[in-house]
Amino acid sequence: MSETNEVKWRNPLAVWPGGKEIEELPTNAWHSHQDVWRARRESKTKLYPVGRLRYWYKFAGHGGRLWSRMRYWPTRRRVLDVRGEYNRKTLQREKTVADRRPIYWLLCLAALAIAPLLAPSNMQYTLLVAGATFGIYAAINLCWNLVIGIGGIFSLATYSIVGTSAFITAYLSIQYGFSWWMLAPIGAVVGLLFGAVIAFPATRLDGFYYALLTLGLNELCRVYFTTSSEFGGSNGGLYGADSYIPDSWSSDHQLLLGYYACFGLMLAALFLHRFVGGRRIGRLLRMAPEKREAFAEATGVDFRRARVWIFLIYAAALGFIGGFYVTNFGGVSFSIFSFDAVLLGLAMLVIGGIGRPEGAVAGTLIVVFLDKVMLGLGPLRLVLVGLIALLVVLYLRNGLFGIKTQFRAWRDKKKSEHRSTRAEKGGEMLPEEATETDDKGIVYARRFDKMTRDHLKTLVSPEIIEEHRVTLNGQHSDALERLLIYFRTREQVEKYGILNVVPFKNYRIVAFSGHKGVPPRLVEDRIYPSYDAACHGVFLRRVQDLLES
Amino acid sequence: MAQVKVFGYSDKLSLKVGEEVQIHVSADGTDTVDAQLVRLIHGDEHPDGPGFIEEEVDCEANGVWDVEKQFTQVGSFLEVEDPAKTLALDGSITLHAFIWPRTPEIGHRQCILGRWDNRRNFGYCLGINRTGRLEFWVGRGDEIDYVEAEVPLQEQVWYFVAATFDTKTGKATLYQEGVPNRYNSRLGRVTPIDYRSHVSEVFRFRQKNLDETPFLMAGSRDWHELRGDFVSQLYCGKIDRCGVYDRALGRAELDGLRQGGEPPAEGLVAYWDTTVGYTDRGIGDEVVDTGPNRLNAYGYNRPVRAMTGWNWTARNDCFRLAPEQYGGIEFHDDAVIDSNWKVTAKFKLPEKIRSGAYAMRLRSGDGTGLAEEYVVFFVRPKKPTGRIAFLFSTATYLAYANERFALDGSIVQPMGGQPPTITEPDIEMYKNPEFGLGAYDHHADGAGVCYTGYHRPLLNMRPKYRISAFGMPWNFPADLSVVAWLEHKGYDYDILTDEDIHYEGAAAMAPYNCVLNSTHPEYYSENMMDATEDYIAGGGRYICVGANSFCCNVAFRDDDPTVMECRKVGGHWKAWLAQPGEYHMATTGQMGGLWNKIARYGQKIAGVTMAGEGFAHSRPYELMPDAFDPELAWITKGIEPGELIGNFGLGNGGAAGIELDRYHLDFGTPPDTKVIASSGGHPDNYVAMDEEGAYAHQGFSGTHNHELRGDFTFCPSHNGGAVVATGSIAFGMALPINNFDNNVSTLLGNVVDAFAEPGPLPGAKEKVAVAAE
Repeated sequence: MSETNEVKWRNPLAVWPGGKEIEELPTNAWHSHQDVWRARRESKTKLYPVGRLRYWYKFAGHGGRLWSRMRYWPTRRRVLDVRGEYNRKTLQREKTVADRRPIYWLLCLAALAIAPLLAPSNMQYTLLVAGATFGIYAAINLCWNLVIGIGGIFSLATYSIVGTSAFITAYLSIQYGFSWWMLAPIGAVVGLLFGAVIAFPATRLDGFYYALLTLGLNELCRVYFTTSSEFGGSNGGLYGADSYIPDSWSSDHQLLLGYYACFGLMLAALFLHRFVGGRRIGRLLRMAPEKREAFAEATGVDFRRARVWIFLIYAAALGFIGGFYVTNFGGVSFSIFSFDAVLLGLAMLVIGGIGRPEGAVAGTLIVVFLDKVMLGLGPLRLVLVGLIALLVVLYLRNGLFGIKTQFRAWRDKKKSEHRSTRAEKGGEMLPEEATETDDKGIVYARRFDKMTRDHLKTLVSPEIIEEHRVTLNGQHSDALERLLIYFRTREQVEKYGILNVVPFKNYRIVAFSGHKGVPPRLVEDRIYPSYDAACHGVFLRRVQDLLES
Repeated sequence: MAQVKVFGYSDKLSLKVGEEVQIHVSADGTDTVDAQLVRLIHGDEHPDGPGFIEEEVDCEANGVWDVEKQFTQVGSFLEVEDPAKTLALDGSITLHAFIWPRTPEIGHRQCILGRWDNRRNFGYCLGINRTGRLEFWVGRGDEIDYVEAEVPLQEQVWYFVAATFDTKTGKATLYQEGVPNRYNSRLGRVTPIDYRSHVSEVFRFRQKNLDETPFLMAGSRDWHELRGDFVSQLYCGKIDRCGVYDRALGRAELDGLRQGGEPPAEGLVAYWDTTVGYTDRGIGDEVVDTGPNRLNAYGYNRPVRAMTGWNWTARNDCFRLAPEQYGGIEFHDDAVIDSNWKVTAKFKLPEKIRSGAYAMRLRSGDGTGLAEEYVVFFVRPKKPTGRIAFLFSTATYLAYANERFALDGSIVQPMGGQPPTITEPDIEMYKNPEFGLGAYDHHADGAGVCYTGYHRPLLNMRPKYRISAFGMPWNFPADLSVVAWLEHKGYDYDILTDEDIHYEGAAAMAPYNCVLNSTHPEYYSENMMDATEDYIAGGGRYICVGANSFCCNVAFRDDDPTVMECRKVGGHWKAWLAQPGEYHMATTGQMGGLWNKIARYGQKIAGVTMAGEGFAHSRPYELMPDAFDPELAWITKGIEPGELIGNFGLGNGGAAGIELDRYHLDFGTPPDTKVIASSGGHPDNYVAMDEEGAYAHQGFSGTHNHELRGDFTFCPSHNGGAVVATGSIAFGMALPINNFDNNVSTLLGNVVDAFAEPGPLPGAKEKVAVAAE
């Protein structure tokens, strides 16, 4: 309205002598701050009933009773990671099993332990052979996971270590008659030596180059063993080593023994994985994944030493498995060095999810099932393995066992997208936000703030801005005073202030952090020649922030 | 190259000519500084005034000093004196305490009670882990074993907690029970919450102890390669009666302790009864062990005592009435009382210097910004030489020491009516907790700061400093405008400080005919109040150049002038509020807060005190009818009727402003007081301090309220004594305008000239003359 220009504010201080006070200035026509409250009767957006579903059972707290917590002797690890807490909304005492994985492990391992009893008789042979293979490959993959998952080093030398150890122990057994029980320990020594050779490049090379190096090593082993006459270059492998399975047993019992021995091997590998991953060395290595070595080093982590250690453990364990492999199968073929063995192994890890033991075991289970049980599918089964691996790589962030986190992240993203389409910036809280806010006072403060701002926005006019420029920190008209009181009473977070760089010459605008010890930040490059100019600059920024909200 | 920063402090604030002074310096980015003794004459660099003025003074210590980086132990805690290592217990053990955690989830582990080496993992400790749960842990160097409680501790609720460890069975048990009553905690009976937790686990080994680890409460021993030993993992909250046993106590025995029973004697190693030692005059830093070994504990950085305990029932609101309910000792992880730096230089002040405000000016690098430091101290003559004394308000400087409320307090902008103007020292103080806080700040845990000391760099007691909240000189730098005026007018003046008045009483002022107080004499101890009253009543002439005078009660220990206690109490106008029951100062047993809350109105001394404050434009004074009394004409000599007095000034452009004091008969203004001039027309940013008003209502601000004014008053006293009060902080800051030639200067000059002259005042002379005729 053109009338606004005719409204004048008269300074109550103008009557006092001194002659410094402005007598009158143009200002806004007055209107009530209650207009915005009257205009608002209901939310513009649809409000849904809210609440959270309870997926898991919550145990009651112990209260005054003594809670004796059990540990896995001789460690300080508690049998279950149970978290006691107060429910945020009801203050009731609750206990939650924070980590349910031990329960799932126990159930799955028990299922594997009784699986042979449940196998259909016509599939008995296939399943038990596949089961034994699964046990060995799962053990290999668990060890592999130590370097790829925990150590973060992309080593492809796994099968060359297993193969080398297998060939050497098989050779020793055949040529020198070493008994079956000596083969696995000897294999471990062979693996250790092998590990010592490949550990040192790992402290220097990384990523792609190390993968290439170890792949080359694998190829070197294959060529060496296939061409050397001692290792049976002519008959596709070395066979006839001493086996732990007594020849006198019936074939059913032999199969069962093989199955359980391999199952035991997998359990041993699981223990090793847990032991290395959960202890100091595992933590050090997780601190120093690829590309973050410098940071880890700066915080005092000797990652080189840890990497050498993990390599030695990994290689010795794989060597042990190589020796066991020979005693289980009575020999070893050259195919262990083949490139498709490496690829199949990688597929197992990728499908399950790199870095977690459950991923390594489940991935192995899937691939071995397809490869060794679905024999009827012929070569198609390898295509199937490839397809699954491809889909996993394309659509999952961290294998099958990353699905949960990935789903949650996706769900939260969708939720916040949905909320942001309904909420307005700086507006009132939606019911779903409000239920997640502990201090209900904040919920009302947001409402009040929104109403105040809606009113204040109507007060901003060129007259008011000009009035501020000339009166600054003096007496103000009602409209300007309202704006200033609002601006000045805000919380400290991101509130503007002035930084005096050179006294009386050079001023800049800053925003306070609102957090003790965190200094204010500069909000713009502009330099103001006087305090008054900076003060008006702050006002203009605040008006702009108000209008933008 | 690293930025050069130099910080320092002196061992004493008040010295006499020829005395020895010790300067403590810490420096970043340099290992030498140029030191020069200077006398400070004017601070404010405002272009309308004379600018910064200092005078270099010859001194044996001038020259290049070697300096180094020094560290400050931050946080308060108790250390047990245990030379016989009685507490190096490596068998069964029980630790127990009443605790009131202020912030269980502060973001770091908090140790409550223990003998723990944080770096090497030796010893035992009961504390709070990062998730806010009670935890007991033992270490043997290579490994730690621990047991934690089932649920987190609740903020500001009293608990009885204990840990027992039986090395025969290896069983470690935590005991946690809430002990809130109807008064002592944040939550009441209605809240449906279960505080209890009892958890036990079997430890794999027992603790091993190092000889050198101290037994601490509220912290643990740590080490850094540059600093050496220090204390970390500091606790925020209160600890009440606590103890140590060399056996595992049973649940029934612990229940007995929780109910306030006497500790069983069997196996008792130490029992710190935090209620022992209270006297009518407060309590010190020693916490008494009433057990068989007498292992007393001593506070570092002044843990706050005289705090309500677990059994406080609110019937008694002071430790003097029920010391057994005041066992609470409160700790803060960012408390700093004393930097305890090594002495960098020690020297004797020259014999032939005049009394004044001095500083060791330390410069390094380019010598600007943080590379320039003024270590300020005040020098009195060996024997009083002048007729006039200027009193520096060191107690008020201490109250504001290193305050940072422009950066922390959201109320500062509506108060100041302007965006704050921060400078480099503000940011440096804000980033670095080692500078400690002032009585206007809150600790990071949310409690108000009640102790402030000067054995640390006081970055705002510097001649050029401008207070960030209001963008002007404040306290010390503003007081230098009065000093520059005295200097310019050629008066023979000496200087005094609050410290001298507190410890020497009226005797410190007695040699002077006239004493000028500072621009802002807000914080006054009882000794200082008494001394001022006695000086005036004994015939002294006193000028209160500033405002907000004699407002707030503070306390100093008899043996330690460096630390001041200040508790903020009362209806409104305070930077923080002491918790109920904690209004009395541990230093003296007096009620903290405003003097007028205990009927010791500042008006009884000065005739005026606090009317209100604001930081928009300052205003001039106009003469009031009393000025036309012929007996008082000497005061306004040279000022024409109708003339505006102080329509200018370095304090927001006027002589009346910032904080204003007024005449108030109901609050003890002597009825013979004359109002010579008053200010008016203060903007609405000025809000009246309505201490007698029972309700808050509209109309407290400048354009509505006649009480918002500065009164320039004159009041004769006994024996020829008299008081003049200017009623405004901005008054002194108007003196330097137009090279000290202005009507504010004339007005004050008239008063000083008359007051400094021995014998009766001019008006009285005329009166005598008239009577003789």
